[in-house]
This record gives sequence, C-alpha cells and structure tokens, in this order.
Amino acid sequence: MRIALDRTRCTGHGRCYTVAPAVFDADDDGYGVVRDADVPPGDEPAARRGAANCPEDAISLEE
Amino acid sequence: MAADDARGGSAVDGSAVDGTDATVDGPPAEGALFDPEVARNPQPAYKAMRDVAPVLQVADSGPLGGVIVGKHDDVVAGLRTPDVFSSGFEAVRIGQVRPLIPLQIDPPDHHAYRKLLDPLFSPRRVAALEPRVRELARTLVDAVVDDGACNFNAAFADPYPSTVFLELLGLPVSRAREFVGFKDGIIRPPATTAEQREAMVNETGRQIYAVLEEVVDARAREPRDDFISGFLTSEIDGRRLSREDVIDICYLFFLAGLDTVAASLDCMLAFLARNPGHRRQIVDDPGLIPNAVEEMLRWETPVPGVVRRATRDTVVSGCPVRAGKQVVMLLASANTDEAFWERAHEVDFTREVVKHLAFGGGVHRCLGSHLARLELRVALEEWHARIPDYALAPGTVLEYSPGLRQIEHLPLVWSPGTEGEMSETETTTETTTETTTGAGTA
Repeated sequence: MRIALDRTRCTGHGRCYTVAPAVFDADDDGYGVVRDADVPPGDEPAARRGAANCPEDAISLEE
Repeated sequence: MAADDARGGSAVDGSAVDGTDATVDGPPAEGALFDPEVARNPQPAYKAMRDVAPVLQVADSGPLGGVIVGKHDDVVAGLRTPDVFSSGFEAVRIGQVRPLIPLQIDPPDHHAYRKLLDPLFSPRRVAALEPRVRELARTLVDAVVDDGACNFNAAFADPYPSTVFLELLGLPVSRAREFVGFKDGIIRPPATTAEQREAMVNETGRQIYAVLEEVVDARAREPRDDFISGFLTSEIDGRRLSREDVIDICYLFFLAGLDTVAASLDCMLAFLARNPGHRRQIVDDPGLIPNAVEEMLRWETPVPGVVRRATRDTVVSGCPVRAGKQVVMLLASANTDEAFWERAHEVDFTREVVKHLAFGGGVHRCLGSHLARLELRVALEEWHARIPDYALAPGTVLEYSPGLRQIEHLPLVWSPGTEGEMSETETTTETTTETTTGAGTA
C-alpha cells in the first residue's frame, strides 16, 4: 500500500497522527506528515483509519 | 472558537431559499433554532431543518439577510472555499473595530498569520502544558470532592480553561472574573433588542480593547515569558507585528480561550450525568477518554456554527445564495447528518471514524483545537478518577445558551467518599436515553 498526504488540503486537525501514530507524524506546526509512503503490511489498517478520520479528505491510499 | 459564534441569525423565518417562499410547518419555525428547547436537545431540530430546507433563510443583523447551511457536504464545501464564503471583518460583529487575527483574515494573507501562530498551539507545544493543566484540574476537583455537590460550570468549567489561557497569554489571572464578565458581555449580553445588544457588545468591546492596550503596552516596556511579549517581537514576512496586530490577535484569543472549552466541558458533563452507561465506559477504561472526547464533540458540537459571508452569488444544494448574505455553517447539523454519518444519532465512544467538524474546517480550523483537546481529556480523567458516579441534581432543567452551548447552572450531585454507589437509575427531569436511541430520527 502507498499513502499520500496532500499538504494543500491539510489544515492541521491532527486526527491522522492521533489515531495512527505509527503511520503519521506531526510537523512543528501540528500538520500531518506521512512517515513512510510505502506502508508496511502490518500498518495498513492504521493507515486506513488515519485516512478515514481526516476531516479535510487530504489523505489518499493506493492499495 | 468562540469568535466563530453562530448567532448571526436570530430569527428563523422558515422559508426555504429556493425561490418558492414555501412556508415550513413545524420546526424549524420562527426562532426555533435559537430557542431554549432546541438548545437543550438540538439534534432532532437540525434533522428537521435538513429534511425541509438544506439552506434556510434567516433574519440577519445586516441589511442583506442570512442563511443557515445544515447539510454535511455543503458545510464542508463551504468551509473549503474561503474565496466564496469569506470569514472577513463583515462576517460577524462581536465588538471588534478591526478584523480579528487570524479569524477575519482571508487567504492569501491568512497563511502568514497561521504560520506564526500554529506552532504555538501545535500538539507538541501544548503537551508541555499538561502538568500545569492537570495540577489545576486536581485543585478544582479537590475543592468540591467532599461536598457531594457543585455547580459544575462555576466550580470547574469556567475557571479551568480561563486560568490556563490567561497564564499562557500573559494576562493577569487575578482579574479572571472581570475578564470572564467581558467575554459574557460579548457572547451573551443581557439584551432584549438588537439595538441594545449591539450597544452592549460594542461597549464591552471597548473595555476589552482598553485592557489589552494596557497589558500590551506594559509588556512592550517590560517583556515577560508569555505570548503577548512573544508577539511583540514577532515578524511576518520581515515586518514586525504592529501594536494593533498584537491587540487584534489577543482580542480573538480572549473570546475563544475563555469560553469554548468551558462550554464543551458543560456539554460533556451534562451528557455523562444523563448517560450513566457511557460514563461507566470511561470510568472503567480511561484509555477510551480521547475517543469519547471526539464523539461528544461531534454529538454536542459546543460551538454550533461558524459565520461566513458570500462574496458572490452562488448556489448551495440547488438554493441560490446572493452575494453579501451572511452564511451560518451549522457545524452541529453537519456533525449529525445521517446522509454522511453511519448511526448518526447514536453516541458511540468506540466509533472508529470521527471526522467531525466541531473545530470547524478549512483554513480557519480552530487554532486552539489541540490545547482544547488536552484540556478536555485531562479534565475528564481527573474528574472521573475522583468522582466517577454523579447525576444532575433532582429537578434540574438544563438551560444551554443557544449561540455557544454553555450551561451556567449545571448542578451535579454525588455521594462523597462512596465512589460507585450512586444509583444508576437516578431520575431527573432529563431522560437518560434520548441521546442514545436516535430520538427524532425514526
């Protein structure tokens, strides 16, 4: 699975790195960043949950 | 944020904005969205509104009238298009004489202000405040735990976030009571007419500016380790923030920092007092509290709406919205829209997906949301560790203020020293099932 976070849509709600800290991190401003665009198989459920919780629909998955 | 208060419209006239002037029977009728019963139990009224009019025409403080947008997808789309739905100076009048920063600055200028302010409220920065926040919560619980009763609003919800915020900003905590009075003068002035309300709000605004000018000038002479001193030496694009810039940031913080977390805590404790099953879940498993906070933010939406103004003629759900209209994006309605949410009218602390709009959305997403979440989580942890079992005082009828859902009189009772022994069937005038059974959604 590959994952991407659209920085032009992210407004820093912080839901992704809160619900899926293994996959997402916060930058110094509190905006989300993807730790690794290639998601290890074990982290796929977390990646999906992080994406699903983004209020700005800024995260896209490629299964 | 408090400044994003939804009370721009005050009299719902019940006609759909589709050019037909169709009069709507039943709720929402005249003033319905702002009446006490709806404030107490808003979700069914919002559903009724969505069912009859996705865009609802309301009277507005301004000459052009306003509309309320209640469907989830319309609210999201509106929040994401600030060029069409402006959050500028004219969107809402709360005693300010200049645009509030950053709320009333539209893109592209908005970005530079957020770039300056976002780091101050990032999760990492606010995490450093947790020990102090927890100490404060413990002190406030200590003060009432042996009494077996308190007005939660006065004993906890009001002083807790006010103290955190005044300390952070650098305003004298010794004057907290005076400041809370100012904030109330803007958000809920005891006015009976629109003219009276405007006069009171503007007078309170003048008092707030006077306090801020006094403190900002004092920090300019003698800097301290606080936000105001920091702002005075901050730069945006190589330009030092002006005295007025600093005051315009603080004015917004003043309103947002003193009220929204207090209202959120009132809503949450009232919910938990009326729903012992939910309360037991977080008592038994405090690890569930962060998710419970999100779900209660969704369900209660303590700041029910944010106000924008249409910059040009546009269309929302097929309804024309003319340039200049005030537009209330009804976050609370979006947060319980069954067209978007699974089991929209069920409160479930274990919900996997809670992408609610309680902090707004788009570029003006609540700047203080991470601090608010910290304060809410710590408050619920500390309160329930000491007072796990409580109820509304018998006979209580809750009065939520409509624009921002504070409950000034929230009397809770518990048995001191006998944790967990209070009956779960404690009866009050509020039912304990309405919020979990989808009342009004059939």
